[in-house]
Amino acid sequence: MSKTIVELKNVYKKYDDGFTALKNISFKLQEGEFYTLLGPSGCGKTTILQSIAGFTEVTSGQVLFDGKKINDIPANKRQLNTVFQDYALFPNMNVFDNVAFGLVVHNAKKDEIQTRVHDALKMVQLEQYANREISELSGGQQQRIAIARAIVNRPKVLLLDEPLSALDAKLRKDMQYELRELQQNLGITFLFVTHDQEEALAMSDEIFVMNKGEILQKGSPVDIYDEPINHFVADFIGESNIVQGKMVADYQVAFLGHQFECSDAGMRPNEPVEVVIRPEDLVITTPEKGKLQVKVDTQLFRGDYYEILAYDKAGNEWLIHSTNASTDDAIVGLTFGPDDMHIMRYNETEAKFNHRLESYED
Amino acid sequence: MEDKASRTGKIYITIVFLLLYIPIVYLILYSFSKGTTMTNFQGFSLKHYGELFADKRMLAIFLNTILIALLSSVCSTIIGTMGALAVHNAKRRHERETLLSLNSILLVSPDVIIGASFLIFFTALKLPLGFWSVLLSHIAFEIPIVLLLVLPRLDEMSPSMTNAAMDLGASPSQILSKIVLPYIQPGIIAGFFMAITYSLDDFAVTFFVTGNGFTTLSVEIYSRARQGISLEINALAGIMFIFSLILVGVYYLIETHNTGNGAKKSIVEVTDR
Repeated sequence: MSKTIVELKNVYKKYDDGFTALKNISFKLQEGEFYTLLGPSGCGKTTILQSIAGFTEVTSGQVLFDGKKINDIPANKRQLNTVFQDYALFPNMNVFDNVAFGLVVHNAKKDEIQTRVHDALKMVQLEQYANREISELSGGQQQRIAIARAIVNRPKVLLLDEPLSALDAKLRKDMQYELRELQQNLGITFLFVTHDQEEALAMSDEIFVMNKGEILQKGSPVDIYDEPINHFVADFIGESNIVQGKMVADYQVAFLGHQFECSDAGMRPNEPVEVVIRPEDLVITTPEKGKLQVKVDTQLFRGDYYEILAYDKAGNEWLIHSTNASTDDAIVGLTFGPDDMHIMRYNETEAKFNHRLESYED
Repeated sequence: MEDKASRTGKIYITIVFLLLYIPIVYLILYSFSKGTTMTNFQGFSLKHYGELFADKRMLAIFLNTILIALLSSVCSTIIGTMGALAVHNAKRRHERETLLSLNSILLVSPDVIIGASFLIFFTALKLPLGFWSVLLSHIAFEIPIVLLLVLPRLDEMSPSMTNAAMDLGASPSQILSKIVLPYIQPGIIAGFFMAITYSLDDFAVTFFVTGNGFTTLSVEIYSRARQGISLEINALAGIMFIFSLILVGVYYLIETHNTGNGAKKSIVEVTDR
């Protein structure tokens, strides 16, 4: 049903000094979905956003909007809008004029400006702030005004460049709900850029995980969290315990001298692999009942859970999330089910990875 | 300790200002003297002011000076602001550095050299010396000052602000008139007033490029002072001082008006405000 609104085909971005910011980026954005570009700083995610918005030219490849190539169309003629990291509100105008700017430059009629600015402010719940000056607003309010200003032109796609990074933790959480709700109410495509995996997991329909100018993995938050393609993704998204192991046969993996039943398959016999177990999937039990025995090193109380750091005999670090505290220096057992383990091959491409998963999952 | 330090600071600053203002006050004080020399104060009188206002030549020169100051400041503010925009938009680093250095050289080189070079230039072009040569050279030496005062405001502006305006559909000219110029306006105003001050102040450059029949106050005062000073000059100094005070006052008013909310005019005149 849904239609492709933005598409990137084999996009490269190289700078004069030889630095390659984007390497062969291709993806499609469907109408009405919430996408996130997630990666560490300098991975090229903002460059992708800027090339879609029109602030930077790509070196090669195509940027398509609604099926048409827009590489050479200037930013002010592109029908998408951006929310900037520093909000970029105009300090010489009040709230109303900031939001109205996009309409004024398009010579909209006064009564139309009036209603549409009012609607946009209502969307971000700041309709009573129309006559305030920008300097009178808090960071969170400025953030909302920046969003209102960007949606007043009714773009089909809204680009958001780390818009929540300047807010405090509590406000950031609230804004995650609001952004998601706003996206669903507007029914338009959001492309959200962030380095915060929690934000990405909470809000997105689909996440693109990036590193060093490449997209490593695309998928729903659950897919990416449960089935990361490689060490980088597993480590970047959430907390994880990663150990080296060996795939003995389909559904049989060996690590730390034991063999375990797992739920992954489709690899060569005895292929070296990495095994990921999330801290919340590890259950503490008595040493006899445990599949692994570890010694508790330190515990941190995180409010809703204890974060327990333990070491096994081989010196591997194990991070465990538990609702109950353990005892320092105690030897405890750890159990986990076959589904709690995720096996990653070395250097597997995304296409092969997806193909392999499909081959045995159905 | 701190109290003592701040008190010595206050005393020091008071002494500095006294030293700076005493000669001016002394000069103005004698403009009200009955006598004709500055040796003794001989009772209050306004006769020097009377003489000054009767002196048609002096009044014409006064008006010329103001006219040159205003005209040259307007022109140099426009050109200097455009220059600042060009330097700001310079893509490469060394391009910007070169432009800025060229600008600073003009600012720091001695007025005498600039004046002499203008004289050679105008003579070579066979341009008659007079009003136009003075106006042109004033514009020329005011541009670097305006540029230097406008540029920091431009550099301070976040690049995402122009991107945001473009993103919302504004054309380059709309970005300039609605976003950039309002943002750098304080720098432009400061540049304009600095330019006026430099123009009123200038003696050396003007001295070289004025011909017969046209002169400005500084040159006129200089030539009269050489023939023995008359207290009419003191009266003139008094008037000039008040004029400067007015300039400072106007600048202050504009500044406070801008930072207050009242100055922000809506870009759309919508009724419900």
